[in-house]
Amino acid sequence: MNEACAEAQSTEPAENHLLPAALSALYADHSRAIYYLALRFLGDPQKAEDATHDVFLKALRHLDQFRGEASARTWLYRIAINHCKNVRTAWHDRHVLPSSDNEFLDRIPGGESPLRILETKELGGRIQKALDGLPAEYRLLLLLVSDQELSYEEAGALTGQTADAVRGKLFRARKAFAALFRKTE
Amino acid sequence: MKQQNKFSTGRHQEQAAESQAANPASLEFQGVEDLLRHDAAQTAVPPEIARRLSQSIAQSSTPRRPWWRRWIG
Repeated sequence: MNEACAEAQSTEPAENHLLPAALSALYADHSRAIYYLALRFLGDPQKAEDATHDVFLKALRHLDQFRGEASARTWLYRIAINHCKNVRTAWHDRHVLPSSDNEFLDRIPGGESPLRILETKELGGRIQKALDGLPAEYRLLLLLVSDQELSYEEAGALTGQTADAVRGKLFRARKAFAALFRKTE
Repeated sequence: MKQQNKFSTGRHQEQAAESQAANPASLEFQGVEDLLRHDAAQTAVPPEIARRLSQSIAQSSTPRRPWWRRWIG
């Protein structure tokens, strides 16, 4: 599946009704968030499709373990993050050379200003390019906090850190993203 | 649940709306999360995933016949 197709607007597909009742509501409410996280974290529509399928299948199989202590969205994100990290580690270990995060972050100029987009056609591709340039942790934090259903505390719990640590890292992540995004023009 | 509007003020949103009205091809985002939310809203879930899920669930709920029974026919 290509990027353009993945980004096409659509209403809820009729295929959702093929799912068993226990999964149907979960899928209707959260599949977009999980697919988007997988798409932008992994950077590949086919891998994101596979990951979303696997995450919801795992969720169905472990539905009895969901005790309602966290929201369903947080629970699904936890499964998705673990799954995507495994996929990414396996792929990146084979294809990507490690780089120094600090060295990269030190080169970023200061200042935050609004992001003005003149051409929306290639927006998804530009966002992906900028996210790909970020350290994986920053990419994940930006994706999590951009979901309005998730608080900094929940994003912190999902990534194993405090809300204050999330705030601190987000400051640098935003700056780095904005700089990388402008480079894609 | 989420903190109240972490990213932009009402005035900023008004300015963004005005700028969009002046040039419909351009968009202005007050922050990275704002941009990512827009991107997420534009991203549709491929319908193929639900189809594959229902197939996987159907396959896993059908008990597999033992190999010797499949071999005998």
